[in-house]
Amino acid sequence: MNEDVPHPSLALDETVHQRVRLGILAVLSEASECTFAVLRDELDLTDGNLSRHLRVLEEAGLLEIRKGYEGRRPCTWLRLTAKGRAALRDEVAALERLVARLRPRG
Amino acid sequence: MTTESPEQVLTEVRRLRRRSKARAHGGVWLPVAVLAGLLLLSIALYTSPFRAPHEMTVAVPFWAGLPSEQRDPTLSYAFWFVGTPAAFALIAAWYRWRVRRVGVRVGWHWALAAGLVALVALAVLAAVPVELPRDVPLGTLTADQPSLGSVLLDGVRTPLLPLAVATVVLGVAEGSRALVAAGGWVALVAYVQCTIGVAGVFAVLDGSRPSSFARYDTRPGPLVLAMAAPLVLFAATRAVRAPFRSGAR
Repeated sequence: MNEDVPHPSLALDETVHQRVRLGILAVLSEASECTFAVLRDELDLTDGNLSRHLRVLEEAGLLEIRKGYEGRRPCTWLRLTAKGRAALRDEVAALERLVARLRPRG
Repeated sequence: MTTESPEQVLTEVRRLRRRSKARAHGGVWLPVAVLAGLLLLSIALYTSPFRAPHEMTVAVPFWAGLPSEQRDPTLSYAFWFVGTPAAFALIAAWYRWRVRRVGVRVGWHWALAAGLVALVALAVLAAVPVELPRDVPLGTLTADQPSLGSVLLDGVRTPLLPLAVATVVLGVAEGSRALVAAGGWVALVAYVQCTIGVAGVFAVLDGSRPSSFARYDTRPGPLVLAMAAPLVLFAATRAVRAPFRSGAR
């Protein structure tokens, strides 16, 4: 192994790598916007748990939260920021490098 | 995921993205079917879409879409300038309904906005006073050829381009390279046919100088079918293959 190349695990971002938060970014990456309810059901979380993780990601500037209405019902819309998309891309790339490094050599 | 191996984490991320993609883009088939339908309906605007007439009178701009004799230029104009916004309204209603049902939004409004801007630009461009060639009976085609500038301008003065623009931007919004290519194909065929004609391309390939009259050689019916084919295929494939099944995990 090349000692000059930093270990891929060092490229993993603590904010993004957390299980639920990585799931949130993955779901949001394929759409312009997604409702809170869809994300909650998709990741099988409680309202409180999801809100806590969303706050962390919002504070890190990785997603935007917009309150609005869908018809007459109040609705919370979530959108990934450009920084959030880049963070997910970097995380996936780091994971792929890590998998390649851990794979047994033939 | 922190207790899972990196490989398991990656697999889970990919699964979530796949599901999210199917949910977000599962409704693209209907807008594409509407655009393809509008394109195919335009065949009815030509007096002789499939058979070569003995004589024809062609009005510029080509309000039917392609250079050929139209049943009525006013009808062609109304078809595109009423039909395109009507088709866009239908697409907007579909996406709004889907957002309420699925809870995921894609950037469809950019596609419709781009299509409408292109339609308005076409109206403005057509209103600019330019010296247009007179309607020319095919029997007297030995008349002077129109200038290169006016022929190249004819390529963008077709109501097929706003439809192509909307399709390309919709492809970007829906993350589909195939749809971007299908929209590009419509634009390419429309532009080529309205300038030197598909027959003119073969003349260029043969090494000879194309005449602007070559654009009247190919009948519009088969060309419209060729333009619409990728859209129809795309819509049919997506309608069958990718409806979002909320219970599928």
